[in-house]
Amino acid sequence: MLYKRYVDVVALIDKQGKLTPLILRWDNGVQYPIDRILEVRKAVSEVGGSGILYRCRIQNQERKLFYEKNRWFIESTKP
Amino acid sequence: MKERVILHCDINHCYAQIEEMMVPELRHVPMAVGGRSESRHGIILAKNDHAKKYQIQTGESLYEAYQKCKDLVVIHPHYEEYLYYTQKVKDIYHEYSDRVESFGLDEAWIDVSESMALFGNGLEIAREIQQRVWEEIGLSVSIGVSFNKIFAKLGSDMIKPMGLVEISRDDFKEKAWQLPVGDLLYVGRATLKKLSLFGIYTIGDLARFDLDILKRHLGKMGEIIYWFANGYDQSEVAYIDTCEEVKSVGNGITTPKDMNHLREAQSVFYVLCESIASRAKEIGMAGRCISIQLRDTDLKSFTRQKTLSRATNLSDEMMIVVMELLRKNYDFSKPLRSVSVSLSHLQPENEKVQLSLFEDEIHLQKQYHLEKTIDQIRLRYGFKSIKRCSMLLDKELSDFDPKNDHIIFPVGYF
Repeated sequence: MLYKRYVDVVALIDKQGKLTPLILRWDNGVQYPIDRILEVRKAVSEVGGSGILYRCRIQNQERKLFYEKNRWFIESTKP
Repeated sequence: MKERVILHCDINHCYAQIEEMMVPELRHVPMAVGGRSESRHGIILAKNDHAKKYQIQTGESLYEAYQKCKDLVVIHPHYEEYLYYTQKVKDIYHEYSDRVESFGLDEAWIDVSESMALFGNGLEIAREIQQRVWEEIGLSVSIGVSFNKIFAKLGSDMIKPMGLVEISRDDFKEKAWQLPVGDLLYVGRATLKKLSLFGIYTIGDLARFDLDILKRHLGKMGEIIYWFANGYDQSEVAYIDTCEEVKSVGNGITTPKDMNHLREAQSVFYVLCESIASRAKEIGMAGRCISIQLRDTDLKSFTRQKTLSRATNLSDEMMIVVMELLRKNYDFSKPLRSVSVSLSHLQPENEKVQLSLFEDEIHLQKQYHLEKTIDQIRLRYGFKSIKRCSMLLDKELSDFDPKNDHIIFPVGYF
């Protein structure tokens, strides 16, 4: 079961305007650097909502991070 | 002439599906999008497939719907989300053609005649669009492919959800003609009744009928739907972002409580007229025909109209006509539940007019500037910053802002 969780994201906007998420910040303050972005495309999420999907590798786990309108959510395994 | 290829795309039960996309749990329960029942705008705007099983219908009241299914989950509409996501869907359409004509929020025609060298034939483009909308936005669309707009729309209505139907010149007689004539655009309840008198029940019946008889009994519309049925619709798909010429400006409301006498209705009409006058002035138009629609507590409704000798966009002038129509045509034997006003036969407001000897032109000018000033005050400080004293008599009835509260106005084909 996956849950929709909005998260704080530290992102980089480069000179060309490309947006790259760098770090996820959980509500308890723990930060998770995004090790690698595997894929970027428009997509719908199975936990609801659609936007730009960043398929990421974080601490050897694959996670789906979505940029929805103007904020970020992750398909989280924890509620 | 080269055969056109037109797609008609229809987001299946649009509002309900967008809600489901945002909150997937709703897919598993009977759900409908509806107005607030406390203020009695309680009608079903859209429903999902589970709700459909209970025979819940779009347009019926929440009360009726709950009687059919007491576990119905009713979601209040999120218009901003609907605008956002339907625009995202249209952005995909725009990638395939510069001719995309919206028909309401959830429907659009796409003319891909010139795009086929790039993207493949009509069916292939339709399939690709369907796939992309599904994967990228999570919405299912039904698409009809045909050589004119009318049959394309028929095609998209045939299979739901995710239908894909091609109606070509070779097979429209088999595919389209067997459908009930009511499926045809612009055959409404009244026309349907008239057509049934002639024994016309399917689109094929209509297409094979005698045109002269149709014209005699149904007028211009009779001829139009006859050509529709025969596949002769030639209307073009508009280019992206071209605006339709505005034919009328109207507003209506179901009030939070019934209107029991003339004075109560008057306050409501004042607010509606002000909104219409303000919107007409905004687009620089004035209209000659004023019509009111009244609906009583039995949900019976009728329309009355009056044409003026010269066009107006002043709420005061409109109000005089509205009250005249109301006094003449309604005795309040039953309370009114909802009312609407519409201003049509529009023309540019600065068009030269023959001044009348018997009207006080200076007063009209003053009135015009007064109303413009009120509009400006409202623009800067909000709708409620200035209002007529009479509005205070019945706050419950007159406390609404029709101009800004409704962001989605219905559209017509012509």
